[in-house]
Amino acid sequence: MQLIKGWFTAAPLLWLIVLLFALFPIYTTLADLPFWNDVAMRIMLLGMAAMGLNLVLGYGGMVSFGHAAFIGIGAYVTGIANFYGLDNGWLQIALALGICAVTGMIIGFLSLRTSGIYFIMITLAFAQMLYFFFVSLEQFGGDDGMVMNRSDFVFIDLWAPLSLYYMIVAALALTALLLCVLVHSRFGVTLRALKSNQSRVEAMGLNALRFRITAYMISAMICGLAGALFANWQEYVSPDIMHWTRSGELMIVIVLGGLATLAGPLLGAVVFFLLEEFLPEILAHILPAYAENWLLVFGLFLIAVVLFGRGGLIGVSQKLRARLGKGAG
Amino acid sequence: MGKPVLEIGGLHKSFGALQATRDVNLAVNEGEIHALIGPNGAGKTTLIAQIYGSLKPDAGQILLQGEDITARSVEERVHLGLGRSFQISNVLMDFTVLENAIIAEQARQQAAFRFWKPAFQDRELIRGAGKILTRVGLEDRRDRLVSDLAHGERRLLELALALAADPVVVLLDEPMAGAGPEETQNMTQIIKQLKGEVSILLIEHDMDAVFQLADRLTVLVEGTTIANGTPAEISANAAVREAYLGSES
Amino acid sequence: MTFALILEQIFNGFQTGVTLFLIAAGLTLVLGIMDFVNLAHGSQVMIGAYAATVLTALTGNFYLGVLLAIPVTFLFGIVLELVIIRHLYQRDHMEQVLATFGLILFFNEAVRIGFGPGALFFNLPDSLSGFVMVMPDMPYPAFRFSVVWVGLACAILIGLFVARTRIGAMVRAGASNPEMTAALGINIRLLFRLIFAAGATFAGLAGMMLGPLTAVEPGMGEGLLILSLVVIIIGGIGSVRGAFIAAVIVGIVDTMGRVLLPVILRSFMDQAAADGAGPALASMAVYILMAVVLVFRPTGLFPPKG
Repeated sequence: MQLIKGWFTAAPLLWLIVLLFALFPIYTTLADLPFWNDVAMRIMLLGMAAMGLNLVLGYGGMVSFGHAAFIGIGAYVTGIANFYGLDNGWLQIALALGICAVTGMIIGFLSLRTSGIYFIMITLAFAQMLYFFFVSLEQFGGDDGMVMNRSDFVFIDLWAPLSLYYMIVAALALTALLLCVLVHSRFGVTLRALKSNQSRVEAMGLNALRFRITAYMISAMICGLAGALFANWQEYVSPDIMHWTRSGELMIVIVLGGLATLAGPLLGAVVFFLLEEFLPEILAHILPAYAENWLLVFGLFLIAVVLFGRGGLIGVSQKLRARLGKGAG
Repeated sequence: MGKPVLEIGGLHKSFGALQATRDVNLAVNEGEIHALIGPNGAGKTTLIAQIYGSLKPDAGQILLQGEDITARSVEERVHLGLGRSFQISNVLMDFTVLENAIIAEQARQQAAFRFWKPAFQDRELIRGAGKILTRVGLEDRRDRLVSDLAHGERRLLELALALAADPVVVLLDEPMAGAGPEETQNMTQIIKQLKGEVSILLIEHDMDAVFQLADRLTVLVEGTTIANGTPAEISANAAVREAYLGSES
Repeated sequence: MTFALILEQIFNGFQTGVTLFLIAAGLTLVLGIMDFVNLAHGSQVMIGAYAATVLTALTGNFYLGVLLAIPVTFLFGIVLELVIIRHLYQRDHMEQVLATFGLILFFNEAVRIGFGPGALFFNLPDSLSGFVMVMPDMPYPAFRFSVVWVGLACAILIGLFVARTRIGAMVRAGASNPEMTAALGINIRLLFRLIFAAGATFAGLAGMMLGPLTAVEPGMGEGLLILSLVVIIIGGIGSVRGAFIAAVIVGIVDTMGRVLLPVILRSFMDQAAADGAGPALASMAVYILMAVVLVFRPTGLFPPKG
């Protein structure tokens, strides 16, 4: 019991946000703003995928520029299965997880022979290969993508209001729990140690590749799950979901919230969406002619975050608290 | 002294036209501290890399407790009983001293690939880690972040981690590097206490420490071993004195 | 598939390759010497194209427009390095990726604000609009032909500069050993600034040559950026020679792939599917090539020794 409690107390902010998401529909129902449920679902899915990437990027120190590909695989497995009449949602998820695990293992094995910028590029290359592969599949819509129906989850009716919502909350909670467990486990600790100093860990007789490929596979599966749920939500799959800029988006979200923190990716996803929603609005008030060009401000914001906001929101707030603590005490 | 635990025979390594290692022969006996000395540029780093396994020799043989490890990976050598400390501390900066030791302890038990229980709260691991730290006197610094440690303390942690897996032979690569006189004395005492527990191949420039610690010495000059023997024999050796004229630390 | 057609496509591939080289040269030197990943290098292509388009419209003369656009692009590179880039040299690659990603967004929007979201027309003068006979009975577009020559000239220029001049020696030293170069007391900051701006200028030149062929619009450099990254990885980071060879290979593989794959696919698929899948699979080819190279040569084909 102490053990399980520990997993939750290790990341109070993360669980707070998950809880808020769980309670959110109460507000939207009362205020009659069902549209915001959709926004919340997208944030949760983005946060989930970011958490998956954070395992290898933040904790593992592997800058993978191709994780959007796994989201895409998850989405397409769901879409293609539906296309052929195999619409059992549980089976689809199992299939998506399995394919992502195998793909993650292969890509990880080939990529982890390199390091540094080469690793970034080879992961990008594999992601691009997959992107163009799906674009080439004419029978599934190619570039335009294809429409699909929500899957049949047997005892859960995805058409019932909030069914999909709470399914996503559950998946998010599971991912959060998995990350909490992994990061503190012997496996996770070794992975983090490898990031800190690979030579030392190898001198202890440990095989770096074994730990890293495992982490890569797990992160691929998490992204795949996010992709499968996203396809169900959107009722549509297209290669856009795995464009390389999507991988960039995941990185932005993680860095925004705080690299190598448990709450960072989800927090980053929330902030990212808020920016996407409100920057155009703010601009519309100050400089209405340029409201459409809010990406300009966002671009500058991103540069500022990199230059001045080391550690993301969580890092900056920790530094602030330390400074204020010193001032007061 | 006992029989050899580490034997190197006829080792050769060239980088293009440069012969970094030329017909090197060396043996470390059980329980002894064997020092490897030589002027700068003699090829000690290259030799250590080949013994450790990060560099493949062109020819020759390396035996660990009689077993041929010449073609084995670093991971395999560590499992067979080889340990190593680095000249530049390769300690885990973002963790505490105790956490460093825990990571080493779980590696020693070959039980690092586990997924459920939190590693840093594992009582058994903490106990084992404590023993690793006590060995070098870092027990009372256990909760310090390594990045907050003084240089000498980091060298001690480096030594502790090298010894964590209870190796049969440990390569100590300039353990006194960058240490002040007090720290050097402390380190020398600790290494002295290890004698008998583990066999040591010591690479050091600090001649005082070397002569205090070494049972036997091997001298490496321009990639080849020119002499080996007891400290008394070596200091009397004419060839060694010539190689060392003016280059004492 | 006549011989003339294939030859024409090989020429096109070579032309694409040479254009890619102009972009890749700056990228590989900046990554090799300053260890800086510049995603905004594609924006540099765009800036060059826009500068040339505007100046051509202002002066009424294509050649004058391009000639004036070159120093403008160079200046732009200097300013960019001064204001933002030089603060990022010490950061890790991921942070550089994110910051330059932010720059891409910024420049794309800035261009949209200045010139609108649509494509601008960059018309060729009559002197370059016709055809030349590269072989008897083989007309080839004059402009593409001149692009090949300009690109080759630049390649030779860069190659000679890096191999024969003192600054070139510093560049080579920097590519194989940045720390040593700094230790030699060479004004590193100025060197970096010049290297960055020079790379930016060649990228801009590539943009000026692409403008008339494709379209001058926001985001026009992004696809080429990714392709250029592939080129420098295959060629070996920091190697100008490697970048050239890899760029030509990639250009030809990509062009020939786009032409040949639909043809091959049509033999066992219906035309519509083949024509849809062909280009996509051709796009994959380049990445497969890079992955294969990396598996066997983890540092590329011609890494500079150091």
